[in-house]
Amino acid sequence: MYLQMALRNLGRAKVRSILAAIGVIIGVTAIASIGIFGESLKNAVLENFKDLANEVIISPSRTHGYTVIDERTLMKIEKAPYIAEIIPVKSAAAEITSKKRTISTVYGLDEDDAREMFKAESGRISFNGRCVVGKMLAEALELRVGSKIYVNGKLFKVSAILEAEGARFDINPNYAVIISQEDFDKIFGDGYDMIIVKVKSIEDVSKFKEYVESSVNYKEKVVDVFEMKSILERIEKAFAQINLFLMAIAGVSLLVAGVSILNVMLMSTIERTKEIGILRAIGAQRSDVLKIFLYEALILGVFGSVIGACLSFVAGYGITSLIVGKTEYVFSLSSALYAFFGLFFGIFTALISGLYPAYRASKLDPIVALRFE
Amino acid sequence: MKAVELRNVTKVYKTKYYEVVALRNVNLEVELGEFIAVMGPSGSGKSTLLNLVGCLDKPTKGEVIIKGKRTIDLSDRELTKLRRDEIGFIFQQYNLVPTLTVEENIELPMVFKGVSKEMRERRVKELAEKLGIYDLLERKPAELSGGQQQRVAIARALANKPSILLCDEPTGNLDSKSGEMVMEAIREMNEEGVTVILVTHDETLKRYAERIVKLRDGMIVDVSPDGS
Repeated sequence: MYLQMALRNLGRAKVRSILAAIGVIIGVTAIASIGIFGESLKNAVLENFKDLANEVIISPSRTHGYTVIDERTLMKIEKAPYIAEIIPVKSAAAEITSKKRTISTVYGLDEDDAREMFKAESGRISFNGRCVVGKMLAEALELRVGSKIYVNGKLFKVSAILEAEGARFDINPNYAVIISQEDFDKIFGDGYDMIIVKVKSIEDVSKFKEYVESSVNYKEKVVDVFEMKSILERIEKAFAQINLFLMAIAGVSLLVAGVSILNVMLMSTIERTKEIGILRAIGAQRSDVLKIFLYEALILGVFGSVIGACLSFVAGYGITSLIVGKTEYVFSLSSALYAFFGLFFGIFTALISGLYPAYRASKLDPIVALRFE
Repeated sequence: MKAVELRNVTKVYKTKYYEVVALRNVNLEVELGEFIAVMGPSGSGKSTLLNLVGCLDKPTKGEVIIKGKRTIDLSDRELTKLRRDEIGFIFQQYNLVPTLTVEENIELPMVFKGVSKEMRERRVKELAEKLGIYDLLERKPAELSGGQQQRVAIARALANKPSILLCDEPTGNLDSKSGEMVMEAIREMNEEGVTVILVTHDETLKRYAERIVKLRDGMIVDVSPDGS
């Protein structure tokens, strides 16, 4: 009955009620669609780093005096059951001389690993007394396939020039020379500077880390284990913060909607002062009056929020396709979560806004209210 | 037990600048099942008396006792409960809720009391038949004549089977024929045992009352039996 009364009262001032509901619709749509957009953006960005998530980088524990990882440690690590791929890397800084001179990073890699990791822009990746040069370095030293360079005085012929690479966390070949591990040992000596391990699944990351800790680091900390996952986690966290901030800005529109509900409800209570008096005279408790008015706010809130939540998918899809371009993440569980979140906030705002007018209505003196015309 | 007792009741309205004494040392007893008329010119304190008996207000001095309960001791919640269960109001302006149908208007006091839907429907039917408004149940108040609206208001006032019916100029807005029908309905209810307190300055309604209480300047100046 209270619900019916509330519905009919809203119907009595249709335009006003609809306008107030539109406010809620806009507010909820803004919050939820921005949430959906942010989530899609995050997913699109993280997708680029997807391969990275199950990568682990092992480096010598410099704080404990280890500058390289020796062959025995590598063999122990290789025995770990979770490994999908393991790439031992040697690296050092060296003087590179051709027509010009510069200092640059030199990597010692297995030929197969190098072929898998990088793409040649020109030439073909092959070592055996030859070397591969990153794009930037090649440009700086004006190198082509077949050019001759000296690495710390030792002669190499350039077999390939690599494509320019985007940001990477493990090896950055753009400004580097890559040679075979045998050649590397001759110039710089034994040992590895880094081991890149890809585990079979993301759940194996922590298992693998434990394995290394117990098999290699059990006596002394020989190697440091760094999970790429932790970088992704940080990126995710940063996105979450940005998203929250954007949603807070969108929340302002919901606040405005709340004020308009407050306004509508206050007008309604003033116009219906006499009716409140009648209700109180025939036996309505204060709590009954409070309920009737709160129902009105609740209806506005639910009505506006449900429509807003539905619209937020449309709006979220629109913004995402405009800005990100990829829309496959729009219709996902997390989007539904944001829509639900917007829905919840819309209803919550409406209830809060309805509270004061409802309270005021319930506090009216029945005699004064009855006399009101 | 009396239906209503007023003992040395004084009611003073205070505003910032002046005081109005609306009732001065009023004593009155109304028996259960009695029909009394309270008469007097405007400003004589009729409305104040009605508000006090209707548990909408409390006296400044003295005590108002409704069916053995001193209103001065009761909280707002308890006063509301007393209004809901023991008192039925009939106003000059009918005061039906415009958004609700006739049926829903009559149901309303029972909704506040928490009566089940089934019981409410039975009671509405019973009252509607008695007051000759059965065909109007689905209509809205605005679609009814004044006399019809007032009969709906009577049905609403009686919904929770109150012991006291407070009528504030019930015929004030009606033509004489509708007014008579309304008064007949009220009399019928009185004959079924409901105590009726009728506030009016219409001399022609005197004949319905067993007793007439005359008020002037907040004081009872005369109590006389009917027909005098």
